[in-house]
Amino acid sequence: MLICDEYLTPASLTEAFAAMAQHRGRYRVVAGCTDTLPWAREGRAGDVNIPALIDITKIPELNELRIDERRVRLGAATPIQRFLDDAALGHALPATPRCAVWFADDQIRAQATIGGNIVNASPAADITPCLAAHDATLELASLQGGKIVKRTMPLGEFLTGPGKTQLADGELLTAVECDALPGYGGSFEKVGHRRSLVISVVCLAVLVKLDAEGRKFDDVRLAIAGIRPIPRRLREIEDFLRSKTLTGALLEEAADLPLDLVQSRTRQEYRRDVVRGFLMRGLISAAKRAGAHPDGLTTAMEAAYG
Amino acid sequence: MVDLRLEATVNGRKISRTAKPHQRLLDFIRDDLNLTGNKEGCGAGECGTCSVFVDGVLMKSCLLPVAKAQGAQIDTIESLAKTGELSVLQKAFHKAGASQCGYCIPGMVMAATAALRINPFADREEIKERLGGNICRCTGYQKIFDAVELARDVQNGRLPATALLETDTEDGEVIGKNVRRIDAPSKVSGKLKYAGDMTMPGMLHVQVLRSPHAHARIVSIDVSAAEAMDGIEGVVTSADVPGQDGFGVFVHDQPVMARGKVRYVGEAVAAVAAEDAMTAKRALAAIKVVYAPLAPVFDAEEAMRPGAPVVHDYAPDNITKHIPIRVGDVEKGFAESDLVLEETYSTQAIEHAYLEPEAGLSYVDPDGVVVVVSPSQNITHHRHMLARIIAKPISKVRFIMSPVGGGFGGKEDMIYQGMLALLAMKTQRPVRLVFTREESIISTAKRHPSRTTLRMGLMRDGRIRALDMRMVCDGGAYGLSTEGVMRKAAILAAGPYVIPNVKVDTYGIYTNNTPSGAFRSFGALQTAFATESHLDIAAERLGLDPFQIRRINAMRDGATTHTKAKLGTVSLTRALDAAEKASGWEAGSPTMRGGTRGDLAHDDVRPAVSLGARFAADGKGGKQEAAE
Ligand SMILES: Cc1cc2nc3c(=O)[nH]c(=O)nc-3n(C[C@H](O)[C@H](O)[C@H](O)COP(=O)(O)OP(=O)(O)OC[C@H]3O[C@@H](n4cnc5c(N)ncnc54)[C@H](O)[C@@H]3O)c2cc1C
Ligand code: FES
Ligand code: FES
Repeated sequence: MLICDEYLTPASLTEAFAAMAQHRGRYRVVAGCTDTLPWAREGRAGDVNIPALIDITKIPELNELRIDERRVRLGAATPIQRFLDDAALGHALPATPRCAVWFADDQIRAQATIGGNIVNASPAADITPCLAAHDATLELASLQGGKIVKRTMPLGEFLTGPGKTQLADGELLTAVECDALPGYGGSFEKVGHRRSLVISVVCLAVLVKLDAEGRKFDDVRLAIAGIRPIPRRLREIEDFLRSKTLTGALLEEAADLPLDLVQSRTRQEYRRDVVRGFLMRGLISAAKRAGAHPDGLTTAMEAAYG
Repeated sequence: MVDLRLEATVNGRKISRTAKPHQRLLDFIRDDLNLTGNKEGCGAGECGTCSVFVDGVLMKSCLLPVAKAQGAQIDTIESLAKTGELSVLQKAFHKAGASQCGYCIPGMVMAATAALRINPFADREEIKERLGGNICRCTGYQKIFDAVELARDVQNGRLPATALLETDTEDGEVIGKNVRRIDAPSKVSGKLKYAGDMTMPGMLHVQVLRSPHAHARIVSIDVSAAEAMDGIEGVVTSADVPGQDGFGVFVHDQPVMARGKVRYVGEAVAAVAAEDAMTAKRALAAIKVVYAPLAPVFDAEEAMRPGAPVVHDYAPDNITKHIPIRVGDVEKGFAESDLVLEETYSTQAIEHAYLEPEAGLSYVDPDGVVVVVSPSQNITHHRHMLARIIAKPISKVRFIMSPVGGGFGGKEDMIYQGMLALLAMKTQRPVRLVFTREESIISTAKRHPSRTTLRMGLMRDGRIRALDMRMVCDGGAYGLSTEGVMRKAAILAAGPYVIPNVKVDTYGIYTNNTPSGAFRSFGALQTAFATESHLDIAAERLGLDPFQIRRINAMRDGATTHTKAKLGTVSLTRALDAAEKASGWEAGSPTMRGGTRGDLAHDDVRPAVSLGARFAADGKGGKQEAAE
């Protein structure tokens, strides 16, 4: 059970930092609370007493959404469900709706935030690798000498291990910026014990851009998670595919590149099989959504992986 | 503590109340507003019994600090049938028989309401997807999906409203008819009160101190500091038992709370009744228990070996029950057989996971009758045991069975009712205990884990000549239903097959694991898993079709089982025929296929799991992109 003496809901960043300064060393930031409340239960942290909970979801800046041609800026308190509800957002970040539909369930998604997913830094987090595939950069803010100071950092650098990040004491994650990738085909592959409310055993985010005829890879972005302490971009495969002509044989070759990806302690053999299958299926689905020319994908392959 | 002033609209009415900063929205609506239709099945976002609308968006109220509801419009299950008339969806749940124990149903109805609000034309796949956050342990979901489809079609005018009415029963004729459940309206509306929903004036809240050790002697228990705390009305331990302590279905080997020693992690050691649950919890931390750890035993076969730690003094060999059965001469049967197969099978502990965690109330009525209200599956037996434990005549003990939010055998044991009665007697006030999901899992019975060695002798034509089975089950720390489970397992060990020579030994063994107990099928699962797996292996070795080998050995009308039960009619061959037909079975021995099967391409075979039906829908009943 999570016990607090005070639950604060600041209405601005300034108010939030004031509350954090006032309760220094005795507060915890919360957003959707979907990681924090289950954590404070028997078998995990048990009963936890935190004097002040500071809820950052009512801060307007942390809820903003800006989409321009090149970048998308998302406030850290953006709920996961927004990737499904906001068509323009889904269009600009094509793998995110595919990821969101696999994330928890319709109800938790309305509450869970991207900031919480990133700062919680679980190796099984789903939206984090998906944002990594969209080349996310984080904006971090803190109060220094009475002024709000911001720094930015690539998502890949921010995460340092399971549950570990570079978030400094007194710092808030305020926004996430991604490349806008309209015209890319996106897919997200995930497996766990059931289909809703499930922790990823393996998950893979895929983005594919093809040339005008849908025959050649202009760009590929892949991020895998669940099988290592932090998500990993598969740059080797991205580079291997870029500028090549889409064929089944090429995809098989890419999926067979000898990368030792699985670092999990359990079920390694199974996870290796899944990774290969996911690379095939993810690339095929994303390519189809990117407008692949039918010549590139044989029906046998579509039947096996589509 | 800084209380919150909460202004919100709940089910259409404005409220302005103080709330505690740590309360969840679920606590606030259930405890403060007494809206108990939505339940707490898990408290961790996993089950959906707590689903409510917040500003029109469905959310899990167990994950929402109440402060998040500031200024919001909250709608609970009670909002759907405010005038007393059920909503179309609720009527459809009634019609389709979509509620069984009913504990998941308020949340399920809320999720279905949300799904059809978002897409009034959602197809079955999309409905499944949108209900993905809600768990049901009883129905198998199909009737729930049927109900949502029925409601959708009525709402869209594709079916008339009369489709929601009972159709085919006449004049009390019910057999073979689709009869609506009479208890369904109380469940789909959330009005039915389960034990955890009930309150009484002056009621105290109970919390239980549980053992952190698997096996330890209790050197001392000091409750004085806890008793002295503000708001604490009573603390009980085994020292408070006035009568003969001990309960169980067959042997009364389990004390109401640990007596002298603890035998598993999670065993109750003391219980506290206080003005509120938080205070009771704080008092638990003030109880001082000194333990002297003993060597534990966690494996049933190890527990059978000489010199193993002894769990109960009365059973120095750790055997709770051994059931031996001998028919004919198995050794002779094996000698006559063309093929003798031996394998070892194991099954694991399984949690019942009923959606309703255990809960109960107890009070002493004006006539001095000790009353216990709980979802007990065995109240008459509990009543007799409790009378002996609290040393009262049977006329002074009463058990009331509250609606059972799923049991599956797991609510047959008197695990907590004794503590409640003792606290009601000690405090002379009503007391209530509601388990958390974690508490339910750690402290209550599981399905028996088993290890079975099976030897079977067969003739070349598939006839079974002999069966020798030795099954060792981990019964855990207390006897509970172990004896019955061992009997049933032995009775069903040879399957529904004619076998002239049978030797069966089933053993229920004490260990320091969580007790095993009743679980639907009661021992049949463990032995059938071994026998049926064995028959498939035999079919492969003998080049027979798996259906055929079963038909060759099937009991027919008038057969006598290995425990001498005479069977009038036996439906096995009919069941086999029906299963073979329905599965589109590809006949032949298991060895005739390569890596692929030819019998998977028909409508009754489910496709691989995927998500994303909503991407295909256009919200108007049509399709946007080809389904992927
Ligand atoms: C039943 C269930 C199913 C789930 N399924 C999934 C799933 O499928 N995939 C998945 O990835 N996750 C899943 N989760 C986990 C969880 O929902 C996500 O990790 C979610 O994104 C966490 O966000 P939140 O806002 O709820 O986090 P919170 O619990 O509010 O916060 C989590 C952590 O992040 C910190 N934090 C939050 N926001 C900020 C900020 N702006 N600045 C600094 N620190 C911050 C908090 O201090 C806290 O330490 C599930 C959880 C539950 C209960
Ligand atoms: S999801 Fe809230 S009680 Fe289970
Ligand atoms: S009816 Fe769904 S859990 Fe019992």
